[in-house]
Amino acid sequence: MNDAQTITVQVVGIEQVTPLIKHFKLAPVAGGSLPVFSGGSHIIVVMQRTDRVHKNPYSLLSSPSQLDAYEIGVRRMEESRGGSHFMHDAVKVGSRLEIAHPVNLFALDKIARKHVLIAGGIGITPFLAQLEDLHDGSVPYELHYSVRSAEHAAFLERLRRREGDKIHMYYDDAGLTIPYQELLAAQPLGTHVYVCGPAGMIKHVIGTAQTWGWPDSHIHWEQFSAPPVGDAFEVFLARSKVSVHVPPDQSLLESIEAAGVEVPYLCRGGVCGFCHTKVLELDGELVHNDHFLSEAEKAKGKSIMPCVSRAQGKRLVLDL
Amino acid sequence: MLVTGIKSKPVYAPLQVDTRGRYHLMLGMGVGGAPLLRVITDMRAIAAQSLLSTRVLFLPDSAATGVAAHAVQFETAGVADVQAFSGTPQLLDRFRTLLSQSLMGTRLYVAGPESFIGLAMKIALEFNLNKDEIRAEECGTLARRVYCIHCRATTENVRTNIVRCVGCDRWLLVRDHYSRRLAAYMGVMADAEAPGELPPIKEVFL
Ligand code: FES
Repeated sequence: MNDAQTITVQVVGIEQVTPLIKHFKLAPVAGGSLPVFSGGSHIIVVMQRTDRVHKNPYSLLSSPSQLDAYEIGVRRMEESRGGSHFMHDAVKVGSRLEIAHPVNLFALDKIARKHVLIAGGIGITPFLAQLEDLHDGSVPYELHYSVRSAEHAAFLERLRRREGDKIHMYYDDAGLTIPYQELLAAQPLGTHVYVCGPAGMIKHVIGTAQTWGWPDSHIHWEQFSAPPVGDAFEVFLARSKVSVHVPPDQSLLESIEAAGVEVPYLCRGGVCGFCHTKVLELDGELVHNDHFLSEAEKAKGKSIMPCVSRAQGKRLVLDL
Repeated sequence: MLVTGIKSKPVYAPLQVDTRGRYHLMLGMGVGGAPLLRVITDMRAIAAQSLLSTRVLFLPDSAATGVAAHAVQFETAGVADVQAFSGTPQLLDRFRTLLSQSLMGTRLYVAGPESFIGLAMKIALEFNLNKDEIRAEECGTLARRVYCIHCRATTENVRTNIVRCVGCDRWLLVRDHYSRRLAAYMGVMADAEAPGELPPIKEVFL
């Protein structure tokens, strides 16, 4: 993916849906229809700030049958490097943004016999679009949605209106938690489970499903890690022969791009594997923050996912 | 003249216990009893409690000697539930019923001739079992089920490279192109270009 393929959109609606989440509606400036997508897809939003560019992934929450505008939900991150704050504070109705074509890394299994959807907080967004594909009722499904408290239950009205009793709500402040064991211990053969939410929740769902014998092909999860802040470091790109400085609040990928070098990417959140880059030399340590490389690969230190991972130490040389 | 190297020809591997499974469902036909017994023995050694959640559906093959005894051996090996059947359709019916009642966490093991494995897989597919839930070991005859692409009849137990279709009487060339949905190899008219001119007929699937 590169910037030549982006689409210019205009913000045509903003709604504060919870104290932390804003709902944006993005329509193509050129008019007409946006590209077709399937439930679970995300887009990359390019945010041009005066001093730097942010490119963040957001799940599409609008119906795949609605192509005059895309909808996304953005949660204000407490420790944001600026992306979500920019969306919350600087973007207004009428603002223009660039977006990349939708990509689906979290699709519903087409021949599943049942779907169990588990959402935590802002993790509800990909499910909103997926549910649109489930309405015909041919495949049974249930949605379990956990939030801090009632005021944080984004899009609940919309869900209730359309899904009725298929929604099970869990409010932290009422001491309600999703009964993972019960949920995963007795599902019929051919069921798929999907989870999107905080890291702890995802880990718990995967672990519990595995304990009950679920094979990996029936467990789906999505979590875009925001690139964490870290120490500044230098990187040398061997093929391009340039040295790049990576400041604490900019990701390795962003810094490389700012130096004019392109790296392929799809998710910018450490899941898709597209930005996989070979490490040629290392004097120091890699700080892996992705969900793509195996533990063994991480330990080897021969590759890095620059969208979310960083380095510490004296020298890092990449095959770019 | 066999079309080989076609990717759809299934590949099988020796059966192994998958200890990550909660429930184990085993299907065997004829000499397929031996690999199942091997898995059950392994299971007893590494995860004996799994035998309590193991079921075996078995079809003894009367033509082969000694295999009828497998059903008894499964039981003495400690398997909780063993059922023997008198024919493939009966066994597959039971299999389908069991799948409709089974839970996530079930692993399927199939051992027997390829045609038997194919029929079992076809049903497993309906229940959305994926590769990581199924293990299959081929043993016994290599005879194929051949689907006629002209009249859509399936000829069973084909051992030769060329076979007469049971449906339309055409001479069919048996290809390596396998359909999981039909659980059969594709058969195409062998003498379409020069009627009556056939390559030598040989027994190749023994
Ligand atoms: S862009 Fe997807 S893992 Fe880096």
